[in-house]
Amino acid sequence: MTDMQIRSDSVDVEQIMRQIRTRIREKRGVDYTEEEIKELARVKLEKFLDPTGVRSDLLAQFRRTNAEPDGNPNFNFENTTLFHSRYGIVRFIRRMLQPILKLFFNVNPLIDALHIQSDLNARGFRRDELQYELIHNLVLETTRLGIQVKNLKMQVDSMSGRLDFDERRARALEGVVQYRPGAVPPLQPTVSAPGRAVETEAQAAERRTRRRRRRGRRPGGGRDGMPQGSGDAGNGVETRGDADSPRVASEARPDSGGSAPAPTSNVE
Amino acid sequence: MRLAVAVQRYGADINGGAELHARYIAERLAPHASVEVVTTCARDYVTWRNELPPGVETVNGIPVRRFPVAHERDPLDFGRRSEHVFNHVHSTADELAWLKSEGPASRPMVDYLASAPFDFVFLFSYRYYHAYHAARRIPAKAILVPTAERDPAVGLGIFAPVFRSVRAIMYNSHEERAMIQAVASNADVPSVVVGVGSDVPTQADAQRFRRKFKIDRPFAIYVGRIDVNKGCKELFGFFRRYAATFPNGIDLVLLGSAIMQVPDHPRIHHLGFVSDADKFDAMAAADLLIMPSYFESLSMVALEAWGIGKPVLANGRCDVLKGQCIRSRAGLYYESYEEFAETLYSLESNGPLHQRLGRNGRDYFNAHYSWPVIERKYLDMLERLRREPATRTIEPLPGWMARRRKDLPAAADVLAGIPSGAVVGHAS
Repeated sequence: MTDMQIRSDSVDVEQIMRQIRTRIREKRGVDYTEEEIKELARVKLEKFLDPTGVRSDLLAQFRRTNAEPDGNPNFNFENTTLFHSRYGIVRFIRRMLQPILKLFFNVNPLIDALHIQSDLNARGFRRDELQYELIHNLVLETTRLGIQVKNLKMQVDSMSGRLDFDERRARALEGVVQYRPGAVPPLQPTVSAPGRAVETEAQAAERRTRRRRRRGRRPGGGRDGMPQGSGDAGNGVETRGDADSPRVASEARPDSGGSAPAPTSNVE
Repeated sequence: MRLAVAVQRYGADINGGAELHARYIAERLAPHASVEVVTTCARDYVTWRNELPPGVETVNGIPVRRFPVAHERDPLDFGRRSEHVFNHVHSTADELAWLKSEGPASRPMVDYLASAPFDFVFLFSYRYYHAYHAARRIPAKAILVPTAERDPAVGLGIFAPVFRSVRAIMYNSHEERAMIQAVASNADVPSVVVGVGSDVPTQADAQRFRRKFKIDRPFAIYVGRIDVNKGCKELFGFFRRYAATFPNGIDLVLLGSAIMQVPDHPRIHHLGFVSDADKFDAMAAADLLIMPSYFESLSMVALEAWGIGKPVLANGRCDVLKGQCIRSRAGLYYESYEEFAETLYSLESNGPLHQRLGRNGRDYFNAHYSWPVIERKYLDMLERLRREPATRTIEPLPGWMARRRKDLPAAADVLAGIPSGAVVGHAS
């Protein structure tokens, strides 16, 4: 997250926004261009279609159905089908008149077309069922993946924020140790430290008392992921003006020096 | 001096942006001139249904004359006509039919404005029936307060002659002026960027708000109608992601009536419509104000937040809000989630930045939007217009045949051709 130093009364909002955008670019790394996004969208779905995890034989069955040369027709259109009737007299009259009818038009193409159509219908029904199942599964999987991606993205965001905070806190601590006048070297473990005298029980008790006293002077508890915790750097800067003013981040940084004024109370 | 303030709706309990603006201006000008408000009987801006009685009544000491609306708005018809004139080549007749469909159509109101002996008539909201027809009838008396947003209506051909012919224009922002001057080439019309003031209390009580609404965590505030058109859907999406990133970060408090569903989230608190006192107390208690709207001609709540010393986080795709943030040096803006998170985090966590922005906001409000400044700008403009003779005449409408010729470009295309972006480099 952005860590800006405000050193003077003149705030340039555009400059702050430029800093923020630069930082976002640095964090995000490589950006997809519009053309690249369009190219990705044009890639055919088949390249990614994998039956694993959807249904083991779904894709094979789908392809087999497509490759079937002949299917069983649901109706068989013969020459007589159009003239069929369950009443004998009607069948007889139609058969008698059939030659006359054929003088007017050719019935055979019609019968062929209906025959083929029936075949296509039967295939279509079977394919529809498979397609429905395929799409249904894909939708489920896509939804599940979408949710997973969202969750992962949130986790990454969260981790990123916390890492950012930790880095900043570490820098602040390093800065305090490095720059504080008359700073003592960092505390080392008291046990099994070669070349260093083991402190007495009284010294340890005194150190604990001092630490408790320092902790007692600190205002409020820190918030996870919030830079308020940077007050732990021990530079004595208050992290919050009052209950309604925001947390202080940059003030806790030792490199902000004395130019950054301490926060004051808000209007209320 | 006799002044009229003509606005589509008016009332002490009507809090729409332009309507409230009109009421404030009428009440502030009343001590300096004889002011009469001329409006309709409508209360609802969607239907324009006649709900208030016609005739004269007094609201906060100002005489208000109401006229009935001829017909309610048919949303389907209006939507169809809007789609046509905004997105297709069309005719002047189509635009006039669109204007009538939008309403509130009240011919008696326009007749009254034209016939009554007013010295000047303030016409609020250029896109409504009363403002367009009154400006055409009495251009020499008409002072337009356009309250124009960057939406396709500004690209309709019927409005450009009005922008060129009224006596003066009181703009809300530099961006609004740049947009209208680009579309109408009316730089020679007397104008001033004035906006509107607000009665910001000097002592708002943050603790009272926290006690009353039992909110003890730090929070950002949104004030206004909770509506998709105000950018609230995007705000909720962004804030939920932000909340997931910072589990103990700032909360979001919403004030205003909701016409979309507010997410059920432990860190989003919807308090509904509250009184002005509670609103200002809430602003005082808040860390910052968020303005997610894409379209604003002037955000009064942003000005109020600045007046109370709080920084604003605005949607950077709204030129006006972005421009105000830059000019005031009192707010940040975002155009994506990443920017939203970074800017909100900065305002939440960076105390010195927060305080500088808040202080700048208060200075900006006092310098440009306090009532004495606003009143002075209005009175100076009236004085100037009284001295200068009216010289412009309005261009006549095309003839019957020409009016029906489909030769006007889609309004959205016109708008797309207008330069956009924040206007920087102005002190006021």
